[in-house]
Amino acid sequence: MPKPTKGPRLGGGPAHERLLLANLAASLFTHKSIQTTEAKAKRLRPLAERLITFAKRGDLHARRRVLATIKDKSVVHELFTQIAPLVADREGGYTRIVKTGFRKGDNAPMAVIELVLEPVTPKVKKAKPAAASAPVEEPAEETEAAAAPAEAELQEDVAAEVAEEEAAAEANEAAEAEVDAEDATVEPAAEDAER
Amino acid sequence: MAVPKRKQSRANTRARRSQWKAEVPTLVKTVENGKVTYSLPHRAKVVTDSQGTELYLEYKGRKVADA
Repeated sequence: MPKPTKGPRLGGGPAHERLLLANLAASLFTHKSIQTTEAKAKRLRPLAERLITFAKRGDLHARRRVLATIKDKSVVHELFTQIAPLVADREGGYTRIVKTGFRKGDNAPMAVIELVLEPVTPKVKKAKPAAASAPVEEPAEETEAAAAPAEAELQEDVAAEVAEEEAAAEANEAAEAEVDAEDATVEPAAEDAER
Repeated sequence: MAVPKRKQSRANTRARRSQWKAEVPTLVKTVENGKVTYSLPHRAKVVTDSQGTELYLEYKGRKVADA
């Protein structure tokens, strides 16, 4: 159920707001995408999605309830025959509001509200375990510490740390060896220079 | 109709107007093509061609409206 609207009505009164929103909904269903102020777009969203829900039901009673809001029969026909099949698989969220900046005359924040008519791409729910298992396996391969994949994560972490320390120690030794080698090379050169 | 008895002094007018403050907008920092840009959050951006001509508004990789 849509959240009840708080604050003052749009336009000059409750009747004016109903007419405004009905006309905005009719325009939205005719043009699929309309530009209006942010406030009107936010008020229109629950009404338009409710009308689309009626259109998805598709029976005569639902059609009459939509006709109580939108008076234009051709718009309602288009809603029931063309828009409803496109959103048949979608479980709510039939509209999208994108903010587009400020109007020139009165600096009102504007928005584009449009019908979401693209086919639904369902979210893959098993992505999480796969993503969690992938990073666990990779460190095991890097450390190559004979860590069996059945081992607990804690053990793998310890193994990784040990391997890192060993690597660091090796790096230090290598660096020292390089320094020694440099000294060895520098000293004969200095001696040559003295001679 | 109520009518002011006295002219409001220049000091009073200016003291009132000194309270008008400009607000700092909250911006988000993004890196586009190696250039750091600051923009308003959750707002469609204008896409321009190489000449700087405004083509259309875009948000999250989707064309929103004509500029």
